[in-house]
Amino acid sequence: MGNMDPKALRMRVENISTIPTIPSVLKQLSTIIENPKVSLNEISHFVSQDPALTTKILQMVNSALYGFPGRISSVNHAVMLLGLNVVKGLLLSVSVFEIMHKAMIGLREHSIGVAIVSREIARKKGLKEPEEVFVAGLLHDVGKVILTLAWPEEYDRTVREAESAGIAIFDAERNRFSETHAAVAGWLSEKWHFPKKLCECIANHHRPQTSALAPFETAMVHTADVIVKARGIGYSGDRLVPDVSARAWETLALSEADLREILKELEDSVEQATEEFRA
Amino acid sequence: MPKIPVEQLKPGMKLARPLENSSGMVLMAEGTELTEARISKIENMGIDSVFIDGPSRPARPKEELLSELEARFRKAGNSPPMAAIKKAVREHIEAMYG
Repeated sequence: MGNMDPKALRMRVENISTIPTIPSVLKQLSTIIENPKVSLNEISHFVSQDPALTTKILQMVNSALYGFPGRISSVNHAVMLLGLNVVKGLLLSVSVFEIMHKAMIGLREHSIGVAIVSREIARKKGLKEPEEVFVAGLLHDVGKVILTLAWPEEYDRTVREAESAGIAIFDAERNRFSETHAAVAGWLSEKWHFPKKLCECIANHHRPQTSALAPFETAMVHTADVIVKARGIGYSGDRLVPDVSARAWETLALSEADLREILKELEDSVEQATEEFRA
Repeated sequence: MPKIPVEQLKPGMKLARPLENSSGMVLMAEGTELTEARISKIENMGIDSVFIDGPSRPARPKEELLSELEARFRKAGNSPPMAAIKKAVREHIEAMYG
């Protein structure tokens, strides 16, 4: 199979709800969050109709990944603490987590790792909204899930191709689909009306130097991805550490001590999170 | 932090996470130092294992982890940032073995 037409690719991805292999919860959620005026009540209502989803989102915000004192017992409460955008992102993450696990074993651990490291870098750099970078980390590879669901056989071949040729998964994707998972996730995050900064982090995590609106946050997710791959936590389509962008690295200026602490946090949190999300 | 089965707990160990009952009430705070009395209390609560402060020792030998690290970096460039990341991860792995 040769290159796919990029326009056709984008059209299919943006019409995610017409793809038969996309699970219904993801389709419904997509329809709800693509409305830019969606209210807290609508989100709460949607979630409360799905007990499994309610449980998952509360499990997530009450997990050790967040460390809030006391219990968060309702979706409304979570939104008050984390903000609507973060909750939208978390809802999406928990609904793709299971699919993620089936689509590519290890992608969930990789994504949690990148979320943790992104947030840790954000905290070290004094970013005001570290939770938004956390969500960007959780969702940065959601494009791989979408590609697997929409083109299962082709994507499977792409992964095997990357493996046998010893190339990065995003190069193999470009060869086959003419675009990468980052672009795919970027289109969807725009469609879902994520904040512009969040969209940029997700769409540009392999080329942070092109980020115009959020160079700082994109550098964080990009660098987090490299660090998690360097530590070898989870699996994301290849077993190679990509080069970190020189400019992103300079922007963040992480010290040796920063790196040491980040790796420690990564190790501790992933261990705990894997335990909590084992189900 | 390692998750230690209750029967292997020893006085002097510290809780790495708060101990909560099923409704989320904190029974012992994070950082609590275990005593014989506290250990038997944990046993009586029917808890199987708890998180304890300190690094977990990986199940696989160090040499294996380090050679996988080399393999992951085989296509990476020799830039100072990549060298710094690799060095940090190598030291991190070595530290896990104490």
